Amino acid sequence: MTALLIVEKLNKRFGGLHAVKDVSFTLKAGSITGVLGPNGAGKTTMFNLLTGFLPFDTGRVEFEGQSLAGLPPHKIVNRGLVRTFQLARPFLGMTVLENVEVACLAPRVRGEGKPGLRAQALLDQVGLGEKSSQLVDVLPYGDLRRLEIARALATRPKLLLLDEPFAGLGVAEIQPLADLIGALHRSEGLTILIIEHKLREFMQLVQEVIAMDFGEVVAIGAPAAIVRDPRVIEAYIGKSTFEEPQLAVTGDGVGVARGQRFGSPLR
Amino acid sequence: MDILKADRVAVVLASAALAGAPLLFASSYTTGVLTVALCFGIWAASWDFMSGLTGRENFGHSLFIGAGAYTAGFLNVNFGLSPWWSLPAAPVVAVLFSLILGLPTLRLKGPYFALAMLSGAAVMQNLTIIFSEYTGGQDGLNGIDPMLDSPFAYYYLVLGVLIATTVILKLIANSTWGTILRAIRGDEASSQASGINVNFYKIAALMISAAFAGLGGALYAHYQLQVGPDLFAIVLSINIIIMVYVGGLGSIYGPVGGALLLSVLTESLRAFSEYRLWVYTLVLMFILFFMPQGLIAPLWRRIRSFAV
Repeated sequence: MTALLIVEKLNKRFGGLHAVKDVSFTLKAGSITGVLGPNGAGKTTMFNLLTGFLPFDTGRVEFEGQSLAGLPPHKIVNRGLVRTFQLARPFLGMTVLENVEVACLAPRVRGEGKPGLRAQALLDQVGLGEKSSQLVDVLPYGDLRRLEIARALATRPKLLLLDEPFAGLGVAEIQPLADLIGALHRSEGLTILIIEHKLREFMQLVQEVIAMDFGEVVAIGAPAAIVRDPRVIEAYIGKSTFEEPQLAVTGDGVGVARGQRFGSPLR
Repeated sequence: MDILKADRVAVVLASAALAGAPLLFASSYTTGVLTVALCFGIWAASWDFMSGLTGRENFGHSLFIGAGAYTAGFLNVNFGLSPWWSLPAAPVVAVLFSLILGLPTLRLKGPYFALAMLSGAAVMQNLTIIFSEYTGGQDGLNGIDPMLDSPFAYYYLVLGVLIATTVILKLIANSTWGTILRAIRGDEASSQASGINVNFYKIAALMISAAFAGLGGALYAHYQLQVGPDLFAIVLSINIIIMVYVGGLGSIYGPVGGALLLSVLTESLRAFSEYRLWVYTLVLMFILFFMPQGLIAPLWRRIRSFAV
């Protein structure tokens, strides 16, 4: 498999805060990768750097062999790298169908059939087909997350960046959405990078995990190996001098072994 | 009857009513009042196209109006060109002004665009006074030639431009362009994440808005046969915004109705003499308080839903 995205020594500072520090990783075409890390680890900032919403200070981002440095967000989207937002950001005052139609008007996909028909097909795909004529203003949160994904898919991305797609969802909504993301990856060969930090469904979904803490990549590996990595454990529950704690993937997410539930990171 | 057909019928009926209005009163005074009302209609529709659709409020629409009107004045009075040259020249000059102010400020988030437009208009108003040897200062440029000798004929010319302006702007607003502009109003970051060049569309919308405002300014100049610094005044911009809100933001035709209604209302309240502004303000407050979505556009939607 070839490398779709190469990130090398990416850096971003906000004044005294080194939000993203020497981040390097490679995404292979057709892979599905997770970004794990406590709040404030720099995950969303890194997404903003990759998608052009923030300029990076130093480093290199190469997508399909071409640099993305200095490109505005819409140009990056039209190269095939699309993101969703952590908090759903629909176009208020417009219908569900119109929300997806807007993305069907991106130059990259403008020639691909009628925007209205494409948008309806995408809504059917994510399970919102029957709500297409509703105003987004009245849509429940779970549906807004699906809408975000439909809108991102409308630009026919090669790489999809999902920023906490499960955040704020009820237990019953998580598995269907995870199934949808898994299906997109399997059936369409879409390369996916997901930020998430505490779900079993997430750990089952991804092939590889990039663990971040304080803006740095602390480990990259298979999900099972990542939860046993000492640096990842330290990031989540702090360093112990008495015993070797272990993270385990439990029903509620990544937690401390021996049945103790993981609450907030011990910072 | 489907929605499109109902809209077409409404356009024909409204046009016919406006065409019949001067015949009904058959006084040159009324025709004059109505001609000015039509100009306000053009200005309100053009303001709504940019600001109603994209949500970026323009507090200096008078800048484009004044630019168009003074262009007409300069070409006709200072250079002795035929009044008809104003029709192509005024929009071009107004578009230049929209680029000067729009290019640097529409890229920024926050109130910079609104403030730049507001101060741009104020600066131009002062410049017309400072460069009085060319602009005539407070007195403005006088002795502008009329385009048509008959004020009645001129009324129909302006009416034609208003109908064309409304139909063209409404067609663009109903097209994919309108969808994109409304998406920008909904969420700029999401529009960018959908692959839309937000800055391009905002600046293009402002250019279109400016072109029609400038055209309306030139038509106004050739009706008044005089242009003055007041054409750049903030109060003119504010009046247009009020007309848009009374008509119904973002609907294009609503603001035209709002402009006609308030222009005629202002004139018909002359009977109240010194209490005129009181009554006008009370009527405005009543409309905006009880009908925050506006008067004309919601009313038409209701009528249409009965007809369809």
